[in-house]
Amino acid sequence: MAPRAFAKIGLTAIVIVGALCALMYATLREGTEYYKHVEEVMAQPDAWYGKRLQLHGFVVKDSILKRRDSLDYQFKIESEGAVVGARYSGIVPDTFKSGSEVVLKGRLSPDGFAVEPDGVMAKCPSKYEPKAGG
Amino acid sequence: MANLGTFILLITFVVASYAVAASVAGARRRSARLIESGTGAFYLVTALMTVASALIVHAFATNDYSIKYVQRYSDAAQPLFYKLTSYWGGLDGSIMFWVFLLAVFGSIAVYVNRDRHRELIPYVVATISIVQMFFIFLMVIHNNPFETFLADAPRDGRGLSPLLQNFYMAIHPPSLYVGFVGMTIPFAFGIAALATGHLDDSWLRAVRRWTMMAWLFLSFGLTLGMLWAYEELGWGGYWMWDPVENAGLLPWFTATAFLHSVMVQERRGMLRVWNVALVIVTFFLTIFGTFMTRSGIVQSVHAFGEDRELAWMFTIFMICLLTISFGLVIWRLPLLRARNELDSWVSREAAFLVNNWILLFCAFFVLFATMFPTLSEAVTGERLTIAAPFFNKWMAPIGLILLFLTGVGPLLAWRKSTLINLQNQFLFPVSCGLVAGAAVVALGVRIWSSGLCFALSGFVFGTITQEFWRGARVRQGATGSDIVTALIGLVARSHRRYGGYIVHVGIVLIFLGFAGESFKKEEQAILKPGEQVAIDRFVVRHEAIRVTDDGQKQMVTADVTVLSDGRVLGRMHPAKWFFRKHEEEPTTEVAIRRSFSEDLYLTLAGYEMQAQAATYKVTINPLVNWIWAGFGVLAVGTLIALMPESAFAFAAARVPAGAVTTALFLLMLFTPARVVAQEHVEDPQTVVVVPRTPLEKDMQRELVCICPTCGKKNIAECTCPVAGRMRSELAEQVKLGKGRDDIRAWFVGRYGSQEPLGAPLDRGFNRLAWVFPYLVGGASLLGVGIVVSRWKKKEGDASRAAGDSAEAAMQAPESRSDALNARLDDELRDLE
Repeated sequence: MAPRAFAKIGLTAIVIVGALCALMYATLREGTEYYKHVEEVMAQPDAWYGKRLQLHGFVVKDSILKRRDSLDYQFKIESEGAVVGARYSGIVPDTFKSGSEVVLKGRLSPDGFAVEPDGVMAKCPSKYEPKAGG
Repeated sequence: MANLGTFILLITFVVASYAVAASVAGARRRSARLIESGTGAFYLVTALMTVASALIVHAFATNDYSIKYVQRYSDAAQPLFYKLTSYWGGLDGSIMFWVFLLAVFGSIAVYVNRDRHRELIPYVVATISIVQMFFIFLMVIHNNPFETFLADAPRDGRGLSPLLQNFYMAIHPPSLYVGFVGMTIPFAFGIAALATGHLDDSWLRAVRRWTMMAWLFLSFGLTLGMLWAYEELGWGGYWMWDPVENAGLLPWFTATAFLHSVMVQERRGMLRVWNVALVIVTFFLTIFGTFMTRSGIVQSVHAFGEDRELAWMFTIFMICLLTISFGLVIWRLPLLRARNELDSWVSREAAFLVNNWILLFCAFFVLFATMFPTLSEAVTGERLTIAAPFFNKWMAPIGLILLFLTGVGPLLAWRKSTLINLQNQFLFPVSCGLVAGAAVVALGVRIWSSGLCFALSGFVFGTITQEFWRGARVRQGATGSDIVTALIGLVARSHRRYGGYIVHVGIVLIFLGFAGESFKKEEQAILKPGEQVAIDRFVVRHEAIRVTDDGQKQMVTADVTVLSDGRVLGRMHPAKWFFRKHEEEPTTEVAIRRSFSEDLYLTLAGYEMQAQAATYKVTINPLVNWIWAGFGVLAVGTLIALMPESAFAFAAARVPAGAVTTALFLLMLFTPARVVAQEHVEDPQTVVVVPRTPLEKDMQRELVCICPTCGKKNIAECTCPVAGRMRSELAEQVKLGKGRDDIRAWFVGRYGSQEPLGAPLDRGFNRLAWVFPYLVGGASLLGVGIVVSRWKKKEGDASRAAGDSAEAAMQAPESRSDALNARLDDELRDLE
């Protein structure tokens, strides 16, 4: 192959790949969320204010409050001793109960964790595998 | 029993290693006897795996809970059908099932090609055997499905997860596995071609059909997975870019790319390295997908548990695989030189090339995004997750470009398209696209991606119509028959090409279904009896909640009236089921009102018994049914492309058949793809037929609803009026004091077929039932084998014949008349 043609192809490839990478990087920034446990976030809460988070923890026993005739929930989640309050409005999964393991999608603010719509994912212990020891 | 199973696995491993050694040694020393012995050992592996599978299925059928795997994935209360499908319900069994399928497919492929590709066979045998050895090794060392309890065995099993006790879930994994396993065959032939240096196009011919078939099964498996997610999980969608779903999609992309680029190699002798690489990458991705879902390396709702040791074994295997395969490619590079160069970017091969790049980009994008959380954790220590919107943002435009190319590719000529050529070809399709686009804008669609998707779909339809029309006209001119006969003759004459176009039609329908997703509407509401919520043109009114129990589960069923414009459309019954032993994970039973234009999708999210209040999630899913219909069309197209020439012989005959018969044939061809009109209507009165005797209860689970839309639910579960009628018929029969066999016979007589008998027969048959799948499987394999071997013969004749006719056409006096040129072009295309 002639060097000229080679350079042409090479240049085109570099431009295309570069453009794709730039695009990917730009979209990744808004598309990604941090996956954190409660204690990691609550160690320094102000660093996380406003960032999109997936928060992993356990629902504190008997902390779930539900406003009558509505889908507004208030509850607390904890892990390794750190606790944070959360608010959510919408349908919760069946496995969302006192003590269950959950991942919440949303943003942290000084007055608690605001869960976005459909942002409560209960980690059920299994879908394919039966419960450990059960 | 279990010991025998483990022993068989060990023996199989030894036999497989002998197959590798004997065939490689035989190939090197050119000893026919050694090769034959290796191939024999290879067949023996298949036999042994069949016995091992039979053993585990037998254990499931006879409730042998001393085997751990059986105990974990079944229980006595499970219907026999789900006991049998539990075989592939868990990790260990699914690996064994994989090896079994691979052995069967490998044997067929080797048997069929034993004479035609004699020089490749020993290496094909060796390659497949090595893959088998890896998986058997995994089983023996790490995941032995025959492992037993050392102390005393439990009385009952833990039961298959209720989510998997679903008809789609029972057939979805086998279909995907067949797709995955099928991809191993092209890989083995590719490696054999590289190893022997027989790198002409003959190995491609050997694997073309295999790839197509595997691709069909892969598509089928993916569609079933979507259906399952849509009907069983109840979140209102069908695809959420979950790692496990992506695992199935990755090889699909590369296989699609291969099916296109293989044509370029056949026609133009280009892209030879590329094709070998695609085959290798496709196979690699099937292994990688298995690795991803089995080792817990990515987090997913439905991955199997985490397993470091397994992850390591897979990693080592994959590294070896890549090194050896691509090492071979590099070694054989001199033999893989392209015979031609790209003449112009305005040519069909260029369009295929771009299509390949984009498909490959899709594969790597999805791979990257799926692995991103794991990668980011490994590199930065922070786990970053990627959500579905990110995938959609990228895949929507890429999908649209692919759709565009689907329309462009067939319009371009091989080598180089001239300007006049382009005008002539593009005029009609482009105007179709513009009309569709204008119509969509006029109707008030303001979402750019969907609007563009509709316009492009119009363009692709235009392309395909034009191709069929012009081809049929030329053929009509040549044979002097009517247009319908000409059309059939055309499809028969180059069925790969026109089958491919029909696949494109299916793809367009699927894209339209995806485009409908943008118009999805959703409401959530808590309703007391009599209260209602309005969505789109529907009004959903909550009536009551009921609790019933059928012995296997407790069912909380809501009673809902659907109205539109003040008129009652019908009743719907979303429910929640609490299976025994799985009370913590109730299943959501969605109520769907299907129609051509949209689905009304109703889930019961929560309830309060005292107040009789219920929380609903109501979703309107426009155009989803087009996805399933699109798959139907796709399957028909693929089957046409796969069919042997002889199947079309009657149509290709010159005798102009009567228009009636041809039209009938066309109708028959498209019947399976017809959009099923909504017949499955939810009805409140039907749920309450409570079985009075154990026999009746049993029979309710054995008989399936015969309406075509509820996916063969058994009549105890199905909520449509047809099932209701069947239940009351059953109650009547039981009341008359009839026995099981009499009732069965009565139903068969009543409905004119065995359709109502869904699951394999039980009780008296229990001993035999586990043989049943094998008999059917064996018979169908035999059938496939015979058909394939007949193809092989036919293919040779056909290509010779085509060669002759092309030569004759070449010798015809040069003429500038367009019709003749077009006909010549058509004849030449048939060489494809």
